[in-house]
Amino acid sequence: MSTAVSIEDLTFAYRGQEAPALQHIQGEVQEGSLVVILGHGGAGKSTLCASLNGIVPHFFRGRYQGRVLVKDREVAGHKVAEMSRYVGFVLQDFEPQLFSTNVELEMAFGPENLLLPRREIEQRIQGYLPLLGLESFRRREPASLSGGQKQRLAISSVLTMEPQILVMDEPTTDLDPQGREEILNIARRLREEKRTLLIVDYDPESGAEAEQIWLLREGGIAARGSPGEILGDIPALKSCGVKVPALIELFSTMDWPGKPLQVGEATALVQEHGLARPRKLEPSKTSPSVGNGSFILQMEDLVYRYPSHQIEALQGINLGILEGEFVALIGQNGSGKTTLAKHFNALLKPSSGRVLLRGKATTDYRQQEISRLVGYVFQNPDHQIFCNTVYDEVAFGLKTLGEPPDSIEKRVAEALATVGLTGTEKKTPFALSKGERQRVAVASVLAVRPEVLVLDEPTTGLDEERQRSLMEMLKILHGRGHTVIIITHSMEVAAEYATRAIVMKDGAILLDGPTREVFAREERLQEASLRPSSLVRLSNWLGTRALTVNQMVEELGG
Amino acid sequence: MNIFLYLDRETPIHRLDPRTKILATLILFSLCLCFNHPTYLAAVSLGILVIAASSRALPNFWKLRFLLILLFVFSALMWPLFARGPTPLWNWGPVTVSRESLLYGIAMGLRLSSFVMAGLILLSTTRNEELTHGLIGLGIPYPVAFAFSTALRLIPTLAGAGATIIQAQVSRGLDLESGNIFRRMGKFIPQAIPLFIYAIRYTNLLAMALESRGFSPGAKRTFYYELRMAPKDYRVLIVLGAILAAALCLRLGMGVGAVLPGRL
Repeated sequence: MSTAVSIEDLTFAYRGQEAPALQHIQGEVQEGSLVVILGHGGAGKSTLCASLNGIVPHFFRGRYQGRVLVKDREVAGHKVAEMSRYVGFVLQDFEPQLFSTNVELEMAFGPENLLLPRREIEQRIQGYLPLLGLESFRRREPASLSGGQKQRLAISSVLTMEPQILVMDEPTTDLDPQGREEILNIARRLREEKRTLLIVDYDPESGAEAEQIWLLREGGIAARGSPGEILGDIPALKSCGVKVPALIELFSTMDWPGKPLQVGEATALVQEHGLARPRKLEPSKTSPSVGNGSFILQMEDLVYRYPSHQIEALQGINLGILEGEFVALIGQNGSGKTTLAKHFNALLKPSSGRVLLRGKATTDYRQQEISRLVGYVFQNPDHQIFCNTVYDEVAFGLKTLGEPPDSIEKRVAEALATVGLTGTEKKTPFALSKGERQRVAVASVLAVRPEVLVLDEPTTGLDEERQRSLMEMLKILHGRGHTVIIITHSMEVAAEYATRAIVMKDGAILLDGPTREVFAREERLQEASLRPSSLVRLSNWLGTRALTVNQMVEELGG
Repeated sequence: MNIFLYLDRETPIHRLDPRTKILATLILFSLCLCFNHPTYLAAVSLGILVIAASSRALPNFWKLRFLLILLFVFSALMWPLFARGPTPLWNWGPVTVSRESLLYGIAMGLRLSSFVMAGLILLSTTRNEELTHGLIGLGIPYPVAFAFSTALRLIPTLAGAGATIIQAQVSRGLDLESGNIFRRMGKFIPQAIPLFIYAIRYTNLLAMALESRGFSPGAKRTFYYELRMAPKDYRVLIVLGAILAAALCLRLGMGVGAVLPGRL
């Protein structure tokens, strides 16, 4: 086997930045192998990807030392467009990558630039459409596809250039479990074709099939090795801010032999060594819901149609949310979660049916009254941040609502303390990290002290540590009596924090109940293309009530 | 939110070569400039509406109805104050409105809406890539044509982001329901900042994506959709060219079709 990529002592600092983004990276990737790159946010994963096709140092300039060789070509000496023949690069955000008017043209764009004859382009499109499951979408506009389909299109539009090496930067971040599985399946098929793959991921479990895992920490390679070595090395993973695979953590804490990644391996180990005896899941005696009995939000036969489409995005939702609940809205991309949530604060008005907020129809409120009661944090914090300082940003809502100045000061301080950003008042929010901007967005909603907090995908794009601190903060707010509703595609987050889970499918509610009971119904979840995390599936198999490693350790060990 | 203008339909106009459609649009523009009499311009507008109906582009007209009506009403009201004609109707201080200037205003309203409608037919029936390709076929340099079509492509993306940004601010208590029109417009100013930052970020990523897919401006490339001028393309151009020639004859040769002959 020959070397596909060779990185020789690469150091790179973005222009205008003192600290290097990459430091002394040394590594080789063999042809036909899969390398998975893991690390905390800001560890240099994306920069490393960009250095493989020349975006670093041609597009992003800066201090560049060392060499990157791709198939014996020095990357820094070639234009990005030239390197694109050898290295296909799928960026983290799929939206800006899809700029054509239909699927076919999107896939043709790369080969067109390679000056391939029309017939050849046609053949390549024909060949890759079925591989990526996009046959029936050939003439569709990319914007009308679901998240998973868009990501597959982004990959296929790079594949039609037939690069030997494919680099994907967090290809599954925005996807539901099924979309994620589809992308991983494509990676498997590409490996059968002997292509070289480098994948950045946030979830260590996808590294199970890799030849090598590289762990990045603060711009350097902290550890490198086979999945068995790296994923079992709990201290190394933790020091790099990577989530420890839950099953490995469980087995290690329980002092059980083995380091299983998949549920199948875990159940086999449990049976082989007689570690625990599966029992029947008992229904809970006390309701985990801490709602105090009165409805804060009620939907009655809620139907919603988007003006431009004929289909019903919500088809007759009947739902009541109690004061003080912690609800997770889960479901496939496009199942109607966000559409439903936008009705909670009347950003959308029902086409028919009613939404009651504290017993009064949202259409009977003034928008300002609603924003005092229901706070809504958008998925992308950059959509709402616009002030020059963090203080002004957090104070904006209070000012528009006409609060007196001394009260504004107090509430801003309080909100910033809650999100752990005290001391950043005078900073520009745009200069903060993504995780911090997310917190500013939450603080600016919190300052108004709404009774209900709705958060759309609050953990997307955050690494393990930032996810945890954000979710712990929500837990505290929930403890103080706020009703918290999150939309999430992370089954781990839903299982660990929510008291109630609502599963949506095609604009209707498929399952609704206490989180433990919902996650026990794996077959029904399958209908919504969802699958609980491996730990929860093990818990289902064992018949334990646990939804987190700690709970399970307590339940089995105690 | 979907505000893309292209409508994927199978009509004879969709199947025309993009170069034909671009030239035809230019001919329609010129035709609008030939007359300033409302009756003649009404005939041109009606013709454009018939073409729109046959290319099944009317849903887009409906989508942009407010823009079309606004353009018409504004110019019909504003022009009479500036254009001067021989037959005075009202005299109100320094402001004089004549019969001709009133008609001229209506004609200008029709002309502006016709411009927009002709452009709208082009965008409803021509894919962005075809437009780029057509412009290159007409001799426009590739980087210019590509920049033009990318700018068109960005409008819906930015409009979508703008809508999300406004929703985000409304849910934080921004009150867009009260106040007069100027105060309300003032409230939109803060929205420009996140939109601006979004646009910079987006175009940066777009540039990265383009380069990663082998794009380099000015280099030769294949065009997946073939351009081919069919006999019907020539027929369309000949018919439209003849209509334009006849119109020029009427206006320049015979002096027909103008309420204010001295003005365009």
